[in-house]
Amino acid sequence: MSGHERSAVLDPRAEPGYKLKTNRLGLWLFFISDGFVFGGLLVMRFYLMGGQRPHLEQFLGLIVTAVLLVSSFFMNRAEVSIAQGNRKGFITSTLITIVLGVGFLVGVVGFEWRNAPFGPGDGVQGAVFYMMTGMHAFHVLTGVIFLVIVLRNGMRGLYTAEKHWAVEAAANYWHFVDLVWIFFYPALYLIGTAVK
Amino acid sequence: MNPMNIKKMDELTRGVLVFLGLAVLTALEYFLAVSEFPAILLWIIALLKAGLVLWFFMHIFRLSGSEGGH
Repeated sequence: MSGHERSAVLDPRAEPGYKLKTNRLGLWLFFISDGFVFGGLLVMRFYLMGGQRPHLEQFLGLIVTAVLLVSSFFMNRAEVSIAQGNRKGFITSTLITIVLGVGFLVGVVGFEWRNAPFGPGDGVQGAVFYMMTGMHAFHVLTGVIFLVIVLRNGMRGLYTAEKHWAVEAAANYWHFVDLVWIFFYPALYLIGTAVK
Repeated sequence: MNPMNIKKMDELTRGVLVFLGLAVLTALEYFLAVSEFPAILLWIIALLKAGLVLWFFMHIFRLSGSEGGH
């Protein structure tokens, strides 16, 4: 075995799948760090409001939650499709996810923010509600942008069943945003008594 | 039916089942909240939902290997 071959064997970067492993690790480290931001917001909500919650439209909260849930389903479908080489299925599902993501933003920012009987400067409930939903909506927006880029690349045929890390990363990011809402939804809409 | 098609169907079916599970848990969460059940139940449901998303949609188990490698 030559010196060059020996160093290739000893070098972990020469292992198959090394780049994918490190990509995944990096993405999950980002999720953890971002999770601290959202965790902090969740703690802030209970520290400042305790057993009370912002006065919000319950039905609208349920609708936007359902929209985000369905979008996560289609995102999963898009990832499975590209992993199976089904480019058409991937494009269709990604497009539906984008539309639902925009729908979620319209529901929260366009309707909920407008209908809320308080503004961002109206005491604790205003600060808590607009900060939490605003930070989450910002992540949904960046997720939509990420998905638009992935969709464009997919339409150009840049992803295959064997090579689609960007799709996996975009899908995981989207599911992370959904994961955050799983905790934000009960914290904002369901737990506690509504402020009069 | 070839193995590739079976695997494809399995993953798509699993996605549907996980989605249905999440939908049922969300509906249950809403029902418990409007019926003024203790908040701890809502947190338990939220944790269950988070577990489903982490395991089946985010594939957290892939971190320990190169499964689903591409």
